[in-house]
Amino acid sequence: MFGKRVLVHMVLFCFLLVSFGPLLYPAQQTVEELQTDTAQSEEESEKIVASPQNIKEETGIFVFVGWMWLSICVLVFFLRLKIREADRLFRLKFFSDEKE
Amino acid sequence: MKSEVQSWLDERFGLLGITRFLTHKKVPLHKHTIWFYTGSAILLFFTIQVITGFMLILYYKPTLELANESVGRIMTEIPLGWIIRSVHSWSASFMIAFVFVHLMSIWITKSYRKPRELTWMSGVILLLISLFFGFTGYLLPWDALSFSATKVGTDIPRAIPVVGAWVTSLLRGGEDVTGDTLTRFYGIHICILPVFLFILLGIHIYLVQKQGMSLPVEAESRGEKVREIPFWPNFVYREMIVWLLLVGILLSLGIFLPPSLDKAADLMAPAPEGIKPEWYFLFLFQTLKIFPAKILFVTGETLAVLLMIFAGALFFFLPFIDNKPLQRKGKIITGAAYILIIYALVMSIWSLL
Amino acid sequence: MKLKHSLFTRRQFLDGLIGGWLGALLASFLYPIIKFIFPPYREPDEVILAFSEFRDISPNSVKTFAWGSKLGILKKNDDGSYWAFVGVCTHLDCNVTYLPDQRKFFCACHDGWYDERGRNIGGPPPKPLRRLTLVIEGDNLIIRKESPEGVS
Repeated sequence: MFGKRVLVHMVLFCFLLVSFGPLLYPAQQTVEELQTDTAQSEEESEKIVASPQNIKEETGIFVFVGWMWLSICVLVFFLRLKIREADRLFRLKFFSDEKE
Repeated sequence: MKSEVQSWLDERFGLLGITRFLTHKKVPLHKHTIWFYTGSAILLFFTIQVITGFMLILYYKPTLELANESVGRIMTEIPLGWIIRSVHSWSASFMIAFVFVHLMSIWITKSYRKPRELTWMSGVILLLISLFFGFTGYLLPWDALSFSATKVGTDIPRAIPVVGAWVTSLLRGGEDVTGDTLTRFYGIHICILPVFLFILLGIHIYLVQKQGMSLPVEAESRGEKVREIPFWPNFVYREMIVWLLLVGILLSLGIFLPPSLDKAADLMAPAPEGIKPEWYFLFLFQTLKIFPAKILFVTGETLAVLLMIFAGALFFFLPFIDNKPLQRKGKIITGAAYILIIYALVMSIWSLL
Repeated sequence: MKLKHSLFTRRQFLDGLIGGWLGALLASFLYPIIKFIFPPYREPDEVILAFSEFRDISPNSVKTFAWGSKLGILKKNDDGSYWAFVGVCTHLDCNVTYLPDQRKFFCACHDGWYDERGRNIGGPPPKPLRRLTLVIEGDNLIIRKESPEGVS
């Protein structure tokens, strides 16, 4: 089920979803808009828009999301190795009568 | 070292029985296996709800005067509060979406056949609990939209004959939606519902473990031998991949598409335009709208609500109704599942137009 | 130096790698959670009060004000000068009160005593009351955190 092609497609889809998400909703992403947006929208529509408070937070968030996806790719890669190994062991009847 | 810890715990808890069970538990590999991932996905999102919920509890103030302001404070003053709130909101939608998928997959694969009838029934109650979680949570920011949506939503039970007004009054804590409603919904959301959820979930999961994973109807009736893999570690590793991807999508959506907060609800203001409930209620909302105001001697709303309750009862007792899964009746019931999916999708989209 | 036997098996290495990376990922989730749960408490840098409200108190008496979320005490001395204190006992955080007849600050929680200058003179308090500096500009009474050199 998690063949390489399927998995690469899934990760690419997730990544595209994430990277185009900001483009679909530009009001929250750029710094200039951040600085004017929150003040203006609070007065005009009395709506509080959720967004990072400063550029440091914003870059931190991008770094975090990048790190998270990198970690997910690495972990999925290794998990697939583990799955292959576990399946192989099962086929060899390695697990029968074992407490582990 | 691991087995030292294991034997220490086993001497006290007697865990070896559980670990042995888990390592011997097998998961069949067949065309329906992919749907087996939905159950643990629901648990994953629920866990995220509990964690983010615990955090929101630290700052949220459940009174009419301060609710909206406290959510605003979470979003602006508390460090990264907007992310926590956003993840809580998105994870709620993900959880309910997966509950729907889980449910429909069980229906279509007829996994509720004997002996799994109680698993289905406890599952239906879990569905209702999840929807009620969503309904009560939606009010908590106390903004104009959620206040109005709650007004509409709690008015609907009034259409039930005899007990209707009593149900509405129970939900609202009075005649109208007020600060009492908010406090009531908060208590239900963070305390009462979780207790019931844990009880039902315990029953549901115990039954699933006790009875094992189901096989497709055809395979079972033919007594086919189906390929199996151990639950631990083979299936769990596969589930972990699904969890990682789901968490990645959830956090990305939560960070880049966070919900905003409208100003506090005004009890005296006219209803804002475009009131709508959360997406998972849209198809019901639209169904109510298409009923004419009066049919014979009952209101359209009463008829619609009664029909929904009747449909709900059929739904709850489905395993007993579908007692001949391989025959024509069984095929009609499977068809009904597909019709329901299409109906829900069409009605939901229609309500947004 | 070549080892006779490897320290880990390939399986152990892989498991360690996965576990470690997963741990790092979860730790990175933990950071925003910790920041959320322990928000920074910011004491105000300064508090501006209307001097007109404090000008007319009698000598050897106090009037309280809000120092962030803590109690602030403004004391008018016999010579007309003012002192500002953080009115929180240095023992265990209770709010203190001023007893003009005795010219002492008193903490009721554990019988702590401070003299009229805020120095701890009796009971458990280990340190004097915290002094704050004050500046009068027109009708503005500006109270600030004590400067490092200390105030006499």
